[in-house]
Amino acid sequence: MKPEHLKHSFFKRLSLRESWIIFFILGIIMLNYPFIHIFNKHVTFMSIPLLYFYIIGGWFVSILVILLFTRSIKPESSRDDGSTDK
Amino acid sequence: MIGIETLFIAVALYICLHFLVGIYAYDRYKKGKSIVSNSFVYALSITVYCTSWTYYGSVGRAATTGLDFIAIYLGPSLAAFTWWFILRKIVRISKENNITSIADFISSRYGKSQFLGAIITLIAVMGIIPYIALQLKAVSSTFAIICQHPSFVVPPLLQESFFIKNPGLLFALFISIFGILFGARTLATQERHEGLVAAIAFESIVKLIAFLSVGIYVTYYLFDGFSDIFQKMSAAHPALFHQLTTFGENSEFSYANWATNLFLAMGSVMLLPRQFQIMVIENSDENHIKEAMWRFPAYLFAINFFVIPIAFAGIILNGSNNGADYFVLTIPMNTGHPWLALFVFLGGFSAAAGMVIAESVATSTMLLNHLFMPLLLRLRTKESLSTLILALKRMSIFLVVFLGYAYYQIIGNTFMLVNIGLISFSAAAQLAPPVIGAMYWKRGNAAGAIAGILGGFSVWFYTLMLPSFIKSGWIDTDLLEKGLFGLAILKPTELFGLTGLGMWSNTLFWSMFFNIGGYLLFSILLEQNEIEREQSIKFLDPYANGLHTDQWETKRLSKQVTIIEFVNLMENFIGEKEAHAAISIYLTEHEIDENGMVSEFELPSLKRFAEKTIAGSVGAAAAKAIVENYLSDIGSQMESFYDAFKSVRSSLEESREALYVRLRSSEIMNRSNDLRLITKELLELLLSEFKFDLGVVRLLQPDGSLVKYSVKHSQYGEVNLPDSILPGEDFFINELLSSSRPQFANDTRNISRYPNRAVTPIESFAAFAHIPIIGEGEPLGVLSVFSASIVGLFTEELISLLSSLAGQLAQAVKLVEEREAREQEKREKDVALLINATVNHEMEIAKQIQLSLLPEAPPLLPGIQIASLCVPAEHVGGDYYDFFVSDDRIIDAVIADVSGHNVGAALIMVETRSVLRAQIKITSTPGEILSNLNALLMNDLTRAELFISMFYIKYDTVTQWLTYSSAGHNQPLLYKITEGRCQTLDAEGMIIGVKENVNFEDRATLLDPGDILLLYTDGVTEAANIDEEAFGIERLAALLEDIHDEPLQQIIDAIYRSIISFSGTNRLADDVSIVAMRVEHSVIDQQD
Repeated sequence: MKPEHLKHSFFKRLSLRESWIIFFILGIIMLNYPFIHIFNKHVTFMSIPLLYFYIIGGWFVSILVILLFTRSIKPESSRDDGSTDK
Repeated sequence: MIGIETLFIAVALYICLHFLVGIYAYDRYKKGKSIVSNSFVYALSITVYCTSWTYYGSVGRAATTGLDFIAIYLGPSLAAFTWWFILRKIVRISKENNITSIADFISSRYGKSQFLGAIITLIAVMGIIPYIALQLKAVSSTFAIICQHPSFVVPPLLQESFFIKNPGLLFALFISIFGILFGARTLATQERHEGLVAAIAFESIVKLIAFLSVGIYVTYYLFDGFSDIFQKMSAAHPALFHQLTTFGENSEFSYANWATNLFLAMGSVMLLPRQFQIMVIENSDENHIKEAMWRFPAYLFAINFFVIPIAFAGIILNGSNNGADYFVLTIPMNTGHPWLALFVFLGGFSAAAGMVIAESVATSTMLLNHLFMPLLLRLRTKESLSTLILALKRMSIFLVVFLGYAYYQIIGNTFMLVNIGLISFSAAAQLAPPVIGAMYWKRGNAAGAIAGILGGFSVWFYTLMLPSFIKSGWIDTDLLEKGLFGLAILKPTELFGLTGLGMWSNTLFWSMFFNIGGYLLFSILLEQNEIEREQSIKFLDPYANGLHTDQWETKRLSKQVTIIEFVNLMENFIGEKEAHAAISIYLTEHEIDENGMVSEFELPSLKRFAEKTIAGSVGAAAAKAIVENYLSDIGSQMESFYDAFKSVRSSLEESREALYVRLRSSEIMNRSNDLRLITKELLELLLSEFKFDLGVVRLLQPDGSLVKYSVKHSQYGEVNLPDSILPGEDFFINELLSSSRPQFANDTRNISRYPNRAVTPIESFAAFAHIPIIGEGEPLGVLSVFSASIVGLFTEELISLLSSLAGQLAQAVKLVEEREAREQEKREKDVALLINATVNHEMEIAKQIQLSLLPEAPPLLPGIQIASLCVPAEHVGGDYYDFFVSDDRIIDAVIADVSGHNVGAALIMVETRSVLRAQIKITSTPGEILSNLNALLMNDLTRAELFISMFYIKYDTVTQWLTYSSAGHNQPLLYKITEGRCQTLDAEGMIIGVKENVNFEDRATLLDPGDILLLYTDGVTEAANIDEEAFGIERLAALLEDIHDEPLQQIIDAIYRSIISFSGTNRLADDVSIVAMRVEHSVIDQQD
């Protein structure tokens, strides 16, 4: 597949309502117990505490994901309820 | 070292800057060049979420409890994922329904319940007043810290001054004035407060830059970056370092606490009144949400990025985490940077100001709409309330801010105040189930919402507020330690024995348990009422744009209300200017009739519009009460139409009954040509299907009257109706004929125009409708139906059906009319033919009489032969000839032509004959006779506008002298046997009937035996052939010369044949008369 086509297809998947819900729930799970238990250790990473690093990093990634999502919203879809899978 | 006056000046300038920003933004908004309506400002204004509690408190919590503060910001970041669906939907619903606050949103969805709005408002006030107090405290405390710090010099004179002692009061004053100026300028519906939003966005920039400045200063100026701070912290306070950077030993509590904070923050970012105000009410474009979804989390991320470094740096510099709440401010001061501290103070000031402004405006709206308005409406005053409402709104802002101030003054520094942020979040979370249910669960009802909210709030109060009071030392601690009535199971923080979760999680779990449980249980147990159903459809699919509304209006107002009355009502609540602006928008999309009324079917929509407009000012619940009170005051109310179509209908299809009636009526129309039968059966069908008690068909006559054509009635509908009416006699009929629109009344008790009782007998009927029968755009008649008992029978759907039946009937009427017209035409034609035949017959008689007036046969007289011919062109003609014999030797002959050849000419001819016959006896010469005739006939001819040409001869058979005279007649031909050719005779004389006293010349000539005199009328010489060429005198003379020795009668016949053959296919246009005389011999000769 050509990169252009790939990009188009990627954004199309991203604009599905299901994708939003999956990533929303994924965010909640990954930044919650028991997931964060994995990082709840007295360990530092580049002298930064692991849990702090994970949470800040996870937060940053989640913002990037939202940014990607907002890029997938087509201007015309703002007229319906936002989903294109109707 | 900075003088304290510098601080004063900075704060004063900063406050001025606030007003300038507000005024500038408002000015631009008014000019239509908004600086606020963009996604940047929208995202910035949402960060009013970051109050001074987070501005100072984040570092405090990071330094004392560790990482869990992040949850407060991470939660909203994750929640932003859902905004494109949930927030956008809330915004859409709110715009469509003129929602004014979160309480309005919920109460509007659940049947516009005033009670629901009121409890949400009360609880919101309970949760928010302490929160505002916290902001005032933050400003006061930081101000005090600055004043007491050696970096700032306070002159002794100022130390006891009012300003130094009461910074909180001044702050509260500034906020309330700003809030009133920019948050309660007008009552205009749906007006966004751009000045306010601009100020909040401005504050958001200041607080972010201030905080980042401290962060960068601490991390990269005082220390050597993140690693450096973490290493130094780890080295200096290893135990504390571990405790703060992990969830520690008691991890069960910490995880639950983390999750709780996460969920509370997720809900609060949309459900706190100020957040709802900024994100929903102040939203100017749904598309701004798209960008705000990542910009807002990015802002939160940025403002928290340096929290841990600042907290750790503070601990390292301070030696402990004491006073960590104000590390942000104290670190710059303690490290010799008072200017930075001043900037930080302004940042904190901004955080507090933004929160209090937004919160006070949002809360005051709720107070006004859900507590004050219901009370005000109890008064049922008729006065305009718009001024009072605006004053109340402004006062409410003042009230909210100063309640906060009072709270801060009374309670001061207690546990309660420190934790009020999360307590507020927990309260706001109670709104989550009804809000989410409002948009996604159709069955949710008011009872469920009230039960859920009351249940959730009770738990919240018992497990959170009460322990806070206890910890603040206002209530005995026994309750907290031993539980209510000494029952451990009722211990507030470990409710029902749920231990180990901690206070916040305990509250969240149990409050949500009762909240969601109550909401689901009551919603399932109890039915929704009509308004709840109506509203739930609007909330579930706000993008439908009216797709779900029924095709036909199902509601009616029992008494008609005029547009003016609705405008007056709106004026009372939103002000005159706004009311007029609102109605003009409405009227551009709706039709009004010539009386300035909207149709009865439009009234419910006008009522809803008025309600919605008022809702934009006072909220949905109060607006509903206002409009209902108003209607009931004038004796009107919304009620359902009687459902004539009883079957369950789908919104877009016609009911089965309507289809059945249409089918039956077309059957009736097609089965017969007899209009009486058709109307009778149609009326029977209508009476049996729709329970009408009387049906009348009246047809319009050419003279403009309406004649009763067919009547059907039930046992309740028997009335005497006049056979014929004039349209002007009845208001409704007149309206109907002039507008061609149905006229009806759904409740005859409430009609404003009284009809003619004989035509529209309203005292016998509860409802009636006159439907015009219109064919090809012309009114043909009226179909009237009456119901004796059913009020509200005529829905738009029924009227439309009846109109369509009347249309079918019109076709039948038209067909019958056409058939009758054809028959009438035929009859008229027959009569015309008959008359024509009679006239023809009469004319034939006239012709016979006229012909009989001509001499039956030429007289026989020795010495002369005479022959004659007369052929009238029409039945009767104007030609005349006659002979008179006197003394057995003299013959007078006359030939005349009355102009025209109609009955008039014929009559004149008859008169001429009579007069002439009388004159013969008393006159002698032809000239005299013509002269006398002219005198006698002059008057009659003038009156009849006719003339006569005449040629008169007198021939003496003895002397053979011919004397003659002419009255403008064709010159006769005289064939002289001696010459063998024709000559013409002429004498001076004018046509008879032109002039009185005319002399006619007498001429004389001697004839020889064999001479032929030919008298004729112009029908002979002017007979034309197909080329319009006249027969002419030459042709006649030639012919005569040719055949002069033929017998006289044959000569005449030959002339006539010649004329006929000359004119060919042309009909003879004029009468043809010929008289011929041949001299035989002298009588004396004979005698000799």
